[in-house]
Order: sequence, then structure tokens, then C-alpha cells
Amino acid sequence: MKNLSVISISIIASTIMLYSSLSAESFFVSDIPIQEGGRIKPLDSFARNQSLAFYGKRKIKHENLSAIDWLLNLFTHPEKGLDQKVFNLRNPEVVNALGLTWTNNFHKYSYNELFPGIEKQLPLIREIFEKKEVDRDVFESQLVEIYQNVMKFREIVSSLSCLLPLFSVYDSDLATNLHVEPGQLISYAHVMSHRGSLFETSQGIITKPESEWSVSEKEIALLLYNLQQTSSDDFAKALKIIPPSKNDSSGLWLSPWELFDGRLIEPHQDKIIKSLESYLLARFENNIENQNIALSSYKTGLISHVGKKVDFSNLSKERWLNEADLFTNSLVFYLLGFILLGISWMIKPVVFKNVAFCSIIIGFCLHTLGIYLRMVIMSRPPISTLYETVIFVGVVIVLISLIIEYIRKDGLGIFIGSISGSLLHYVGFGYAADGDTLEMLVAVLNSNFWLATHVTTIILGYGTSLMAGLIGHIYLIEKIRVPKDSVRLKSIYNNMFGVTLIALFFTLFGTILGGIWADQSWGRFWGWDPKENGALLIVLWQLMMVHMRLSGLAKPDKFALGMVLNNIVVIMAWFGVNLLSIGLHSYGFASGIAVNLILFTLFEIVTGFGTYYWAKSKNKVSIRSNN
Amino acid sequence: MGNKIIKLLSSPKLFVYSLVWLMILVVVGTVSQRDIGLYASQLKFFSSYFFSFGPIPFPGGRIVLALMLVNLVSMMFKQNLWKIKKIGVIIVHLGGVMLLVGAGMTAIFSSEGSMVIEEGSKSNTVDDYNITELAIIDISDVNYDQYFVFGQALFKNGNNLMHEKLDFDITILDYMDNATLEPLTSPSGIQFRGMLKNFILKKIKRDKDDMKNRPGIIYQVSGSFTESDGIYGLIFGQSVPATINIDGRQYVMNLQKKKTYLPFAIELKDFKKVMHPGTEVAKSYSSNINLIENNIPRPVLIEMNKPLRHEGYTFYQASFIESPSGEETTVLAAVKNYGRLFPYISSIIMSIGLLLHMLVSMPNLFKKSIK
Repeated sequence: MKNLSVISISIIASTIMLYSSLSAESFFVSDIPIQEGGRIKPLDSFARNQSLAFYGKRKIKHENLSAIDWLLNLFTHPEKGLDQKVFNLRNPEVVNALGLTWTNNFHKYSYNELFPGIEKQLPLIREIFEKKEVDRDVFESQLVEIYQNVMKFREIVSSLSCLLPLFSVYDSDLATNLHVEPGQLISYAHVMSHRGSLFETSQGIITKPESEWSVSEKEIALLLYNLQQTSSDDFAKALKIIPPSKNDSSGLWLSPWELFDGRLIEPHQDKIIKSLESYLLARFENNIENQNIALSSYKTGLISHVGKKVDFSNLSKERWLNEADLFTNSLVFYLLGFILLGISWMIKPVVFKNVAFCSIIIGFCLHTLGIYLRMVIMSRPPISTLYETVIFVGVVIVLISLIIEYIRKDGLGIFIGSISGSLLHYVGFGYAADGDTLEMLVAVLNSNFWLATHVTTIILGYGTSLMAGLIGHIYLIEKIRVPKDSVRLKSIYNNMFGVTLIALFFTLFGTILGGIWADQSWGRFWGWDPKENGALLIVLWQLMMVHMRLSGLAKPDKFALGMVLNNIVVIMAWFGVNLLSIGLHSYGFASGIAVNLILFTLFEIVTGFGTYYWAKSKNKVSIRSNN
Repeated sequence: MGNKIIKLLSSPKLFVYSLVWLMILVVVGTVSQRDIGLYASQLKFFSSYFFSFGPIPFPGGRIVLALMLVNLVSMMFKQNLWKIKKIGVIIVHLGGVMLLVGAGMTAIFSSEGSMVIEEGSKSNTVDDYNITELAIIDISDVNYDQYFVFGQALFKNGNNLMHEKLDFDITILDYMDNATLEPLTSPSGIQFRGMLKNFILKKIKRDKDDMKNRPGIIYQVSGSFTESDGIYGLIFGQSVPATINIDGRQYVMNLQKKKTYLPFAIELKDFKKVMHPGTEVAKSYSSNINLIENNIPRPVLIEMNKPLRHEGYTFYQASFIESPSGEETTVLAAVKNYGRLFPYISSIIMSIGLLLHMLVSMPNLFKKSIK
């Protein structure tokens, strides 16, 4: 056991070291700050979000391409990007409507494949836009979604075309004016910043007939024509990577194209745009050294920005969090723990159980580190979205399981912790598939104090309640398995009651705190809103169980059944009230969740009552045989 | 006998049964919000003493909670409760008593409404969210208006409303929770006056969004023995109020939300909405106001989660209206609640009690299993 603790501690330590290796000095291209969804995030997160939206995954899997590389390739080689199969279509009806064929296993299409179909369906799409979102059927909302994705993609592809080396001039006077060698490739941005007398000269050209143009005038005319062609991309404003000017109060960042709408470009903006241009060029030429030089100058540009300072350490933390994928790794350790526990049951050496225990501890540490980093990055308490409630309930249940395992040392805690930790991770991944999980909050939630107190307490209540229900399941199973081991049954029952009291404490206190928050911000302590009622139901149910036990209405078996059924109440309060789509708390998405809720309810009813009556009948048999 | 009653009233079984009924109420009252809206559901199931389902009456939320309070209080008289081991339990239940007492006070004494103020203007009235009133305003005097106000509780069909200083009587013919106006296609009867000459006031289904309900009223004016006697109709929020002339006196009639007049006024200087940059997600709302009392203005900023408390009233940033021309109007919720401190105190008491109880009982519950 001692050795194993050493191992687990060393792994934890190495994780922490790995994390602290994040030095603020190094600045990668994936760290480039960008404003999206109301906050500043690393370009890496932006790339992953786009990849998720178009492709359905956070990387381009079939090409084994990371999101950031895919995005940068789009910028440097737009034409190739338009032929890359990155749009995931899930519905054959939509595919057919776009005039494409539905292949059986690979439903990925490129921009160039989709665009003609979209163009044909524009009247239909316009019609769908007239409808309210709730009135659209599956086909209609997916068609609109693919339309929006294709448009967004087009915008992203073009968003750095002003920085690409697309033109060359051979006339030596013109080249000198533009500060380049004759024949050297230059970008739109470069021409615009050295345009000088270019446009005055062009006035002279327009007044002359084309046949009288000199060679250099012809070249200027061609250049102007090309500039105009490129500037048709200036709609592409998706990439908000340029910090605003110091006089700007809106806090809105700019996209490179916006800089060329005739406004005054400030020094830091100029520095950033030039560094980005040289970075793209270096990437084009595959010159790693120049890429690094360009990036460090990019960082200098960001630092010289006088407005709200860019938090580089948060950017690199978020990028690290993206890469480390802590929750997936934590899941791996939970599953491993479960398998090891199974092995220890089958062939019985204690060592497997101990390794399983360590595996859960490691999973728990990764899980906690992930939550902690999210808190640091957003500088807010751990729970503010439905997704975060799931992740947090997971960590709470695993923590209590670990404590129970530490006290009991019989594998019960490992069993509960590994199963519930894994299940909740899966539920969490379902929510994470909707997009960026680090979202900004609506005004009423924008209060760190209440998020930290009410929300955290109530979610602790959900977690501990589910824990009590799980122990309830175990109690009933053990009652069937070892009906005569009264010491074991009694100790499980006591644990269950203890966890129920803890759960009651958190749900009761959390619900009242919620009332106090409501009193502070809406002026009433209690308004019978669905979410409030859901939380109240959990409290009432647990109060009922505690008093049924007290008054002798519920013996241990019935109490266990009651706590199993309490799981249904918890899940309904947690996810179910969002289905009613009324009330002030409808902050979560509800689509698709109804089926899962019904399945869960049926499962709990069937297993709960099933094991309860099975245990009862077995008990009767044993009493009769005793007689 | 007395002992028996106390035993019954203080029994945990009674508590369990009340809880079961309360849970049923909560579930039904929550699900029915989908169909009838929050306010109607709250009135029917939670703020009621009884409600009927078909012909059968059932106890409503107030009865159940009152029963639970009686149960809790009588439990305090139990002999075997007062032991040092049960200190936590005692404290928790005392906290519970406080919570329920506070709920009772809030239910009976609190009032809430809204205050709608445009930028640059001021207001000293709070409109109730739901209760309406019929205001008859005598505007004949140049120097002052005289108000005769009849509350919604009086709007029962056939009820006569009269006042010694009013030259006429009013008989309620119909009151509608939610009404709509439809143009008349055929000529109206000769007894109709005002709006009803051209429109028909029709009852429609209550909207589940309580804000969308427009109450309507039809009533008869009689006893003036002039042309003005006849049947009138009013709808909440109508743009042109109804007026009548009787013996040279001019009256305006209006169906409005119940108004409470405050001893101070609030002037909206500026309403501000801040979005998260580049998104449609609101980061904060705030109203920059002047609190005017005795003609002395005091600047105050009301924000989300940061209300203004003054003379027993609390004003919250509740909502806002933006007109197409860009003028902003703030909607403040105004609440008067004497019971508001009870939850704060009782939550602390209950938490302390539960923690104490856990400290006493946990070591036994988590003993290492003996093998």
C-alpha cells in the first residue's frame, strides 16, 4: 500500500510539474489571443470551436490534423481549404436537398461541393429564416445550420487574405515606391501601407486610353485591379485578433480586414499585423526560425497595446488545458480503476484493489485540476453552466467515494466512484459537443458571490444525493447477495444515512441560499419557479425519508428504496425542469434530453423496486427456512 | 385527551403525510405552469387555502404549510426531545418554525409591483403585477383631480359600486382576466356607450405569460339620468381613456393595475445595457436614478443584484423597454416585505443545527467496518 501511495503521489507531482512547465515566456501561434463569444481566448480554442462546429470533432480526424494546423492551413492555402472535406452532414435528407449523394460511411463534404447546392436552395433557406426557431423541423434547422456554417467557413477562409503574398511588381520604380525588390511577392496589406503616391498616379492612368499606357502604367493598372479583387474579401471579419485602439470604449477587437477600411492604424496594431504577415510567409516557406521571430514580435505588439492588458498566462493555460484533455484522461483512470477492481474481485489479490484505488485517485486529481484551471481562466467559481454542474457533481461523488473507500477498504467506494465518475464524464462530453464550454454569463448570473455560494452548495447537494441513492442500490443488492451478513448491511445502511444527512444539509442550505439570492436580485424569496420547485422537491423528499425512518414508517430496505427513487427527483430537478422551458432558470439546452430522462427514470424504478421485492422475498424464504 | 391531541399533532407521521401532500402540490403546481402560467398556478395551488379539482375540494399550499407549522411547534412540547444529544435536532426544528413563520408573514403582508420610468421622467407610483382597479377621475376642477378607485375584489357580476360624491352608480356586468377587442360588424344596441358602440369586448383564454393578459371590464352607468347612462367597456392599456359628462362635470374612466403611491419619487436619468463584446449576451443592466424626497434629489445606481432599499421598499432592476427610436425605459420591481429577514436568520439556524446533529451522529455512521 505504501509503495502505491508513492506511485500515485509521484504521478500527481508529475502532472503538477507538467502544468508548471507552462512558462509565460514561450508564445506559440496557438496562444494568439482572439475575441470570440465575448471573451479573449487563445487561437487554439477558436480553431477547436470551429472544427467542432463544421466537422463535429475538435480536430480533423480523417486527416489527422490538429484544429490549429487546419485553421492555419486554411489561411495560407485558401484554395486547398475550399476542397477539404470538413463539413459533417448527419442527415441524408439535407444531403439530397443540396444535390449531393449520401455515401454510407463517410458524410464529409467540402465547401466547393456544398456551395452550388446551397445557392440553389437559397429561396427555401430564406423562407426557413422567416420561421421562429421552435417552429422549424429537423430538416429545416439542419439546413439553416449548414448554410450558416458554410458562410462562416467562407468568412474564416478569407479573413487573412489581406496578409497573403499574392502580388508581384517588376517595374523597378514601382517596386522602389513599395519598398520591395522587383519580382518579390507582396500582400494587400503591404501595398496599402506603402501606397504613397500610387493612387495619384492611377488618376493619370484612368484619363488615358489603354493603348497609350506605358509598361509601368500597365503594371500599376494590373496591381490596382488585383487589389480590388482581393478587397472583395473585406466582409471577412470573423477573426477578431487585433486589440482595439486606445480611444475605443466598446472593448470590441478588430479583424485584420477592418484595419484597412480607411481608419488610422495605431502602432501596436501595425506591429501585430506585420508580424502576422511575416509569420504566414514563414509558414508558407516552412521556415521555423522565421516563424518564431515573427511570433515574438507579435507578442511585443500585443504588449505595447495600451488598453486592457492581455493575460498571456491565461492564454497559455487555456491552450494547455485544451491539449491536456484532462477530463478524458480522468475518464481513462476511472475506467481502469473499475477494471482493476473487477480483476481483484475475480482473482482476489488485494494488490489489484489497491492499484484500482490509486487509479481513481489519479483520475480524481486530473478531474480536479481541470475544474481548477477552468476557474482560473474564467476567474469565477466552478459552476455556472449546466455542463459545469455535470463535471462538478462527478468530482463530488468521486471524492466522497474515495473517503468511503478510505474508511471501509472493501472496494465499495472504488465501485461507486469509478462508475459514477465515468458516467458523468460521458454526460459531460455530450454537453461539451455543443461548442465552447467556457461561456460568458448572462447578467443575472454575473455574480461571483452567489455562484460560489448558492450554486456550489446546491450542486454539492445534487452530488451527495445521487451518492446516497447509489449506496441505496448497493444496499439492496447486498441484501440479496448476503442477506445474513447483518454487520455489513448495517454498516452500509449507516453510511447511506450519513450521506443522506450530508445531502440534506447541502440541498436545504443551497435551496434557502437560492431564495436569498432571489430576494437580493428579484425581490422575492420564493416564486414557485420550476427550478426552485425542483430543488424544493429534493429537500422535501429527503425530509420525508428522514422522518419516515424516525417514525418507523421506513425500515432499512424501504429507506434504501426511497433514496434510490430520490435519484429520479434529483435528475428531474437538475435536467427535467429545463424541459418545461418556462421560468427564470432555463439556462440549459433541453433538446434530446427527454428520452434519456425517461430511460433513467424507468431504470431506477425497475431496478429499485426489483431489488427491493427480490430482497424481501429472499428474506421471507430465509425466515421460513429458519422456522 | 389533550395529550393525545398533542401526540397526534406532533407526530412525525403527520409531518410525513403533509410532506407527501406538499410534494404532490409542488409537482402539480409546477407542471401546470406550462398550461396556465406561473401566477395562476401559484394562486390555485400554493397561495390558496383550498382548491377544487372537479367537485372535490383539496387542501392548498397554505393549509399544508400551516399544518406543518403546528406540527413543528407541538413537537417542541415533547418530553423526550429535550436531551443534550438532540441539541442539533432541536435547533434545526426551531429554524424550520422561523422559516414557516416568515413565509406566513410574507404571504400575508408583502406586496410587489413594478415601476415603469422613461429616461428623463419620474414616477411615484407602483403598479401591482396582477390586481386591477377601476379608476373614475373627476377632472372638472382646474386645480386638482378627484380619484374614485374601486379594487378588483369588487368586480363581481351584479355588484353595485357607488360613492356619495359620485353622481352616478356603477353595476359590474362582466370582468374578464384576459380580453380582446373586435370591431362590430352590425350596429350595436342603443344601450351601449363609448368604445362599445364600435367594438365588442370579448373574453379570451388566459395567456400563460401573465404579462400578456389584458383584463377587460363591462359595466353599466346608471342614476345620472342623462345621456351618459348606459353600458361601457374598458380594456387594460387602452390608448384613449373613456370619458363621460354629467351635469357639467367631466369624468375619465380607466381600468388600470392597482396603484400604490409612494412618499417619494424616482427619476430615471439614464438606463444602461452592457453586452459582452461582440455578442448578444447581456453583461449587465443598470438604472442611474435620482431618488427625490422632499424635493431633494439623491443619485443612486440600481444594478442587477444591487437593489435600492428605501423606506421599507426595495427596488430591483427587473427589465427594460427599448423603443424603435432608441428611447429607453426601465422597469423596476418594487417590493415591500416584512418577512424578508426570516429566511436569512432561519437558514443560519438550520445550518448550525444540522451541522451539530451531524457532528453528533456521523462518527457512528461512518465507523470502520468490523471484519
